[in-house]
Amino acid sequence: MRKKIFWFALLCTTLFSALLVNATTSHAAEKTYTIGTDITYAPFDFQGSNGQYTGIDIDLIKAIAKEEHMKIQLKPVGFNAAVQAVEANQMDGVIAGMTITNARKQQFDFSDPYYYAGEVMAVAKNSKVKSLSDLRGKKVALKVGTQGAAYAKSLQKKYGFKITEFDQSNDMYNDVITGNSAAAFEDYPVMAYGIQNGIKLKIVTKPAQGGNYGFAVKKGENPELLAKFNKGLKALKKNGQYNKIIAKYLGKSSVAKATATAQKQDNSLWGLVKQNKSALGNGLLQTLYLTIISIVLATIFGVIIGLMQVVPAKWANWTSSTLIYIFRGMPLLVLALFIYIGVPNLTGNKISAFVAGIITLTLNEGAYTAAFVSGGITAVDGGQMEAARSLGLPYGKAMRRVILPQGIKIMIPSFINQFIITLKDTSILSVIGILELTQTGKIIIARNLQGFKVWTIVAIMYIVIITLLTWLSKAVERRINK
Amino acid sequence: MNAVDNNRVVVTDLVKNYGSNEVLKGLNLTVKNNEVVCMIGPSGSGKSTFLRCLNKLEDPTKGKVVVDGFDISDKKTNMNKVRESIGMVFQHFNLFPNLTVLENVMLAPVELKKATKSVAEKEARQLLAEVGLAEKADASPASLSGGQEQRVAIARALAMHPDIMLFDEPTSALDPEMVGDVLDVMKKLAKQGMTMIVVTHEMGFAKEVADRVVFMADGHIMEEGDPQQIFDHPQNPRTQDFLRKVLNA
Repeated sequence: MRKKIFWFALLCTTLFSALLVNATTSHAAEKTYTIGTDITYAPFDFQGSNGQYTGIDIDLIKAIAKEEHMKIQLKPVGFNAAVQAVEANQMDGVIAGMTITNARKQQFDFSDPYYYAGEVMAVAKNSKVKSLSDLRGKKVALKVGTQGAAYAKSLQKKYGFKITEFDQSNDMYNDVITGNSAAAFEDYPVMAYGIQNGIKLKIVTKPAQGGNYGFAVKKGENPELLAKFNKGLKALKKNGQYNKIIAKYLGKSSVAKATATAQKQDNSLWGLVKQNKSALGNGLLQTLYLTIISIVLATIFGVIIGLMQVVPAKWANWTSSTLIYIFRGMPLLVLALFIYIGVPNLTGNKISAFVAGIITLTLNEGAYTAAFVSGGITAVDGGQMEAARSLGLPYGKAMRRVILPQGIKIMIPSFINQFIITLKDTSILSVIGILELTQTGKIIIARNLQGFKVWTIVAIMYIVIITLLTWLSKAVERRINK
Repeated sequence: MNAVDNNRVVVTDLVKNYGSNEVLKGLNLTVKNNEVVCMIGPSGSGKSTFLRCLNKLEDPTKGKVVVDGFDISDKKTNMNKVRESIGMVFQHFNLFPNLTVLENVMLAPVELKKATKSVAEKEARQLLAEVGLAEKADASPASLSGGQEQRVAIARALAMHPDIMLFDEPTSALDPEMVGDVLDVMKKLAKQGMTMIVVTHEMGFAKEVADRVVFMADGHIMEEGDPQQIFDHPQNPRTQDFLRKVLNA
C-alpha cells in the first residue's frame, strides 16, 4: 500500500511539473513580450462589441510593436492583476492607463508619458452634489490602486468623506448611480468617454492634479522593451499615427458614432445573449475546463491525502494533517493570488493563470476531499479491518476490497457536494485574470453597462451547468449503490 | 503445519499493557494439536485480549507467542502468512456488508490465490451447506439473523483451511434462540478434530466439548484442567466464587 501511495504521489508530482514546464517553455527563440492591460477602462482598454480588446492603450502598443518589429502578446487581465503580474515577473510590461507616480517608481520603470489626464469627480445625474465641499459625511466610490483613488484620498481629511473601494470601474459607477455612494473619482478621458456611452453620471469638477500615463516594466527589468516603447512612441507622434489613435476614441465624430451604436444595441436579455454568445460560450468553456480538470486532480490528490491520514504510518498521518490544515485553512482567493504571484517570485518560473488556477483548486478542493475521504474510511466499523486482516489479507487488499467499498458509499454525497463547490469556486479565479464565466461577465458589463441583465444571464448559466453536474453525479451514485 | 512437537500454540510469559494499565500479567499456556480449550472468567479478566494476542490483532508487550511453529513475537515474522492458518470468529460477526454471503466466504481464498474462483466457489457453497445456510449464498449479510451471520463468519474462517480456530465470545451478541445453532456448528468442528481456543460464557458448551478449561481473572491464569476438575472440583477460591455466581444465576 505504501508503495502504491508513493507511486500515486510521484505521478501527481510529475503531472504538475509537466504543466509547469509547459507553461514556461516559451523562452526560446525570438522573445515575445507579454503585456498586461486593463479590461474595463474605456477608452484606453475595453472589449469592443466584436469581442476583441480595443482602446487607446491597445492600439498604441500594437502600433509601437509594429513600428519596432517586436512580438507582443496582450493579456487583458485587469489593472490589478496586470500590475501584480509584472511585479511577479509573470508579465513583461503593463499598459493600463497607469499614471506615473513617485510611489510607483519604487517598483516600476516608466516609459515617456504617452497621455496626460486629470482627475474629475462624477456624481449621479440627479445628484445635488456640486463640489468637493458637498461630500462631507458622504460615501465616495473609488477604484483600487488608481490615480483617482489617490487623489480622492489626499482630499479625504479636508472634506471629511468615507471611502468604498472597487476592483472594477463599472462597479464603482454603479455604486454612485444606485446612490450608495455620492461620487466617484476618475481620470477625465475615461469618465467623459463613459458618460458619452451611456453611464448615467455627470462630471462636476474640472480636471485636477493631472497625471501622465506611462507604460511600465518591473524596476530594473526589460530595459530594451522600455527603450523600444519610447522610440516607437516618438515615431508615432512624428508620423501622425498617435493623433489618429487618440482621435479615434476621443474625437467628436467617434463619440457620436459610439453613442449611436450604444443606442442601436438590443439590450433585452435575449439580445444580450445573442450579441455576446461567443464571449459567453468561451467563458463557459473555460469554466468547464477548469472544473473538470480540477475535479479530477483534486479527487486524486484528496484520495491520496485522505488515505495517508488513515494508514498506520506516523509520517504519512502527519504530512496529511499538515496539508489539510494549510490548504483548507487558506481562503481560496488568497491561495490563488499566492500561487499565481507568489510562486513565480520564489521559484523564478512563470506559470500561466490557468495552471495557477488548476493548482489552486486542486490543493483547496483536494484538502476538503481528503478530510471527508479519511472521515468516510474512519466511519467504517473497526471490526471490518480486523476481520479482513484475521483472514490473512494484507492491509492494502483489506482496504481495497473491504474498507474502501464501504467508505466510498459514505463519501458519495460529500463528493457530489464537493464537485458543485469546485464548479462555483472557479469563479473566484477571475481575480487572477482567467477568462472564465464570471470574468467574461465583468468584461461584458464594462462595455455595455448592463450589470443586472448580464449577471442574470451568467447566474442562469451557472445554475444550468450545476444542475447538469448534479444529475450526472446522482446517476453515478445510483449505479454505485446498486 | 510445521508444529514439530505437536504443540499448536505455545505462550510464554505473555504481558500486555495499555499505557500503564497491565491487562495480561505474564501468561503461560500450551495448546496441543486437536485440542479444544475453553477460556472462562469474569469480564475484564483479559480473555479476549489474550486471544487477540495470538494472531497479533493486539501487539504483545512482552513474552513469546509461538503459533503453528511461527514466533509471532518476532517482528520479522510475516503475520499475513501466519494469519492464513489461524481462523478467527468475532463476537459481532464482522461480515463484510458490501459483499454477498458467498463472496464473504470466497474473498480470502481468491484474493490470496489459495484457489481459483470456481474451486473457491464450490468450496464456499459446501462450507455454507455444512453450517446449514446453503440457500443463503446469494443473500446480503444485512438480511440474515445474528445466528445465521455468525455461522457464515465461521464458514468464512474455515475457507482458508486454518490449523487453529479462535472464537471470541461467539454467542454473546446472539438472541438466546440463536445460540444453539452456532454451538452445534462449533461442536461439529471440534469432533472433526479442529484445534480450537474458545473464549465463552457458555458453561454448558465448555463442560461438554472442551478438552481443557482455563479460568482467567485479573490478567492471570488462575486455574486450568479438564472440565470435570474445573467445574466439579475447582481448587482456586476465585474459580469457586465465579462458578457459583454463573451456575446459580
